Amino acid sequence: MGTRKWLLYALLGLAGLVTVVPLLYMLSLSLQTEAETLSANAVLVPESPQWGNYAELFTRAPFGNFIVNSLIVAGVITLAHLLFDPLVGYVFAKFRFPLRNTLFVALLATLMVPFFVRMIPLYVLMANMGWLNTYQGLITPFLMDAFGIFLMRQFIQPIPDDLINAARIDGASELRIYRSVILPQTRPALAVLGLFTFVFQWNEFLWPLVATTTAEMRTIPVGLTLFNQEYFTLWHLTAAGSVILFVPTAVLFVCTQRYFVRGIALTGLK
Amino acid sequence: MSSHPSRRDLLRLVGAAAAVPVLSSCAGAPATQSAAPGTFTVYWNAGHDYAAYRKVIAEFEQANKVTVNLQKYQWPDLRTRLLADFASGTVPDLVEEPGGWVQEFAVSGNARSLQDYVDRDGQAMGFPSDWQPVTVERNSYQGKVYGVQLHLTCNTLLYNKAMLRDAGVEAPTTWEELLDAAKKLTKDGVYGIALNQDYTYMWPWLVQAGITPYDLDTKAIMEPRADAVAALQFQADLIHQHKVAPVPVSSTDYSGPQKLFSAKRAAMILTGPWDLEPIRKTSADIELGVAPPLKNKTAATQAAGVSMFVPAKAARPDLSWDFIKRITALEVEQAATKETGMLMPRKSWVDLPEVQSDPVTKVFAEALPTAKDSSQQVRLTGQLGKWEEQLKVMYQQVLIQNQPAAEALDAFVKAAEGFLR
Amino acid sequence: MRSRTLYGRYARTAYLFLLPAILFFAAFFYLPIGNVVATSFRTGPMADQWAGLGNYTQALADPAVRHSFLVTVGFSAMVVAGSIVIGLALALAIDQPLRGRVVFRVLLLVPYLTSVAIVGLLWRNILDPELGVLNRALGAIGLPEQQWLNTAPLLTIAAVTLWQSVGYTMVLFLAGLQGIPETYHEAARIDGADAWHRFWRITLPLLAPTTLFVSVMAVISGLQAFGQAYIITNGGPGDATDLSVFHIFNVAFRTRDFGYSSAQSVLLLMVIVAFTVVQLRAGRRGEVTY
Repeated sequence: MGTRKWLLYALLGLAGLVTVVPLLYMLSLSLQTEAETLSANAVLVPESPQWGNYAELFTRAPFGNFIVNSLIVAGVITLAHLLFDPLVGYVFAKFRFPLRNTLFVALLATLMVPFFVRMIPLYVLMANMGWLNTYQGLITPFLMDAFGIFLMRQFIQPIPDDLINAARIDGASELRIYRSVILPQTRPALAVLGLFTFVFQWNEFLWPLVATTTAEMRTIPVGLTLFNQEYFTLWHLTAAGSVILFVPTAVLFVCTQRYFVRGIALTGLK
Repeated sequence: MSSHPSRRDLLRLVGAAAAVPVLSSCAGAPATQSAAPGTFTVYWNAGHDYAAYRKVIAEFEQANKVTVNLQKYQWPDLRTRLLADFASGTVPDLVEEPGGWVQEFAVSGNARSLQDYVDRDGQAMGFPSDWQPVTVERNSYQGKVYGVQLHLTCNTLLYNKAMLRDAGVEAPTTWEELLDAAKKLTKDGVYGIALNQDYTYMWPWLVQAGITPYDLDTKAIMEPRADAVAALQFQADLIHQHKVAPVPVSSTDYSGPQKLFSAKRAAMILTGPWDLEPIRKTSADIELGVAPPLKNKTAATQAAGVSMFVPAKAARPDLSWDFIKRITALEVEQAATKETGMLMPRKSWVDLPEVQSDPVTKVFAEALPTAKDSSQQVRLTGQLGKWEEQLKVMYQQVLIQNQPAAEALDAFVKAAEGFLR
Repeated sequence: MRSRTLYGRYARTAYLFLLPAILFFAAFFYLPIGNVVATSFRTGPMADQWAGLGNYTQALADPAVRHSFLVTVGFSAMVVAGSIVIGLALALAIDQPLRGRVVFRVLLLVPYLTSVAIVGLLWRNILDPELGVLNRALGAIGLPEQQWLNTAPLLTIAAVTLWQSVGYTMVLFLAGLQGIPETYHEAARIDGADAWHRFWRITLPLLAPTTLFVSVMAVISGLQAFGQAYIITNGGPGDATDLSVFHIFNVAFRTRDFGYSSAQSVLLLMVIVAFTVVQLRAGRRGEVTY
């Protein structure tokens, strides 16, 4: 038993090392001087940590705006998903109505089209609306998606019908049933949905790139491109920006991680 | 927070959604993106935000009572944006482009002819008489000017003087001398030369070998073919046969050879002035040598560098032209060169003291008249995108994957014949 | 069961609840996708000339399209197989009663929180044969240097993709494992089955629904992989990593042939739907309803 345990630790330790070391290297890059990052003999540990790189982000570009924009856009979209996806998932899980399966298949099909394929028609739409370079323009196209609805449907399906019927007999309205019977049972799944949605939107690049027309409206991933020169990258600043980009998702993850396995375990996959 | 759409917004959304026609057929009237009357939108490369240009922009703002919204992008991102703008009809007032887009968008009808302005102001500003001829030709279509060159760069040989001295070799002037020097310089983890993974770096070799990439009249591709094969094979042999250069790695950046040079692990690189700044920053101790372009059949190099154009639907072309005039003035070129070492398209720029007194800039400047545009004839067919895509594959197959040049070039020519028909 | 009127009332409620979603998906998905289909019958830089089925016949005959499709299938096969094998192995390891397994769970999932672009740039930097950190490290401990981006480019970007996503797969499997009642294992143990047999006879069959979900999602995202080629290899060397979606992106935004890229997108959509349907059929015994 002892050796087996050590083997397991060795395996997991190695896997953990492989995932963490590259990220530590990113941290190291963010603390190097420009000369160190440009030097061909890759530097592993900076001679003296350049915390000033982080300050430089804010003097070279409106990085504070980038952070605020990213928080607003990813935050509102995440809230919208938490609001809409469970409701739609609930309908697909617990209601019988004409065209249910057809609609669900049509919904899943939207997962199979790369975003940039839809991007130009979407851009034309937003331009006609006059919504370019606004928060509503950045947010509206992402208020729901099929992944979140699919996830919530899988989760809500195992909730016993009797619970719902009992509430109906008590005369509760449908919206009330959803709010006080269904939603309270979905908390772990909501944590998972919230985290995934936030991570995905937080890192989104193409849409904020085309839908913004001033530097002040850019999000962090788009703003980071400002630290590339025409022929080379300012690695120290790009890495510092990447570390900042990484922090909120990591914090959110650590906060939600205890729901994580449970949330997925309950989504009706078993 | 204005992020929650009101019900009226939602109704408008449904209306607008119903009204979106097919990609192209929208937006009739000229609509400039900065619909706000006081804003003038410029798309610019993120690496070209020079203090010299900031000063011009400030003057431009004051003179025209507008605010300039300078939107900085990387080239691929700028292009993605711009194509979306063309589809929607909301365009910026002025666009900086990396070379070649002017003719492409002139052909497709997305760029505005500037000939009326050139006719009016050309004499006073010295356009086209003071611009290197290649820069005017590459920005014209059907006899009309559509763009104005902002920077003119070219590619030549940079070398580490100390390394060459230690190996007892002179700066090479021909391909044979280059191979010979590279062999002597390769030792102890140092490569004689480093080649770029990016296919555009093959052009200096091809123009030196006297190749015409494409001839619109005869439809000949990459002729004389045997010389084209030899030029490609020569590069591959440096890597795979003589092993005096490392195998490049395909990627989206061009800085590999520069980094090896900075680390003193490559004695020579073929590159443009853009690599000077990173070299000076990372390894100020290197004694930098610059040699004129190599000679094979001829001594020549490739013309590169950025231009500016005005989208066809831009609402205030008068202002756009005023911007172009101001930013291409000789004093501005002078200030930008002083600031960054960038090379400029005016003939009179070559004679400036900043250029003549700098041993590095001077060599580049003297090479400019031999610089040729390598894709102009293809651009005029409207098939540049496919051409570049295929060239990239062919170049890497030969240089990285060591496929025989004759074979890879044959496949390329066959594919090109298909879409250039 | 319920009366017709009750059914009608629920159907009305259902549609009432669905209304915002239907409007939303119509405006932001189906309308643009319809637009893409319409564009696929057109040609020219502004996609304003009628081409009929021309783009489709061209795509089916285009060797570059065929090549990129094969590259994509190879890439997806590696990613799907890797996700399942490595993800399951890690899940089995972490499912043991070990101290600090929460820490490992967090560590292994962390790369999933980073953007594909940053992961790409980071690994591109690390793997560079001349300048990268990895070869410096290998050299320092006396191992031969690698040139993986040139010698096995597709495998390398598949490995980077796995590096980022395998933690996510692991969590899914972990959830599936915890759903298997302990009594099954007990019974098998009493019957004298060793660990190896228990894995093949009990764990794996009972995990089938999770495996199906993982592979469906991995195929959908593998066939749509893009960032790996866009950021790390630029499709090269040569066309060795010219993934379909990367190819389509270039046709659209570099070549500016939106008609042709739209036709290829529609074809790819059909392929992905077909793959998914086949997978779901094959795994129908599993409870992932469709």
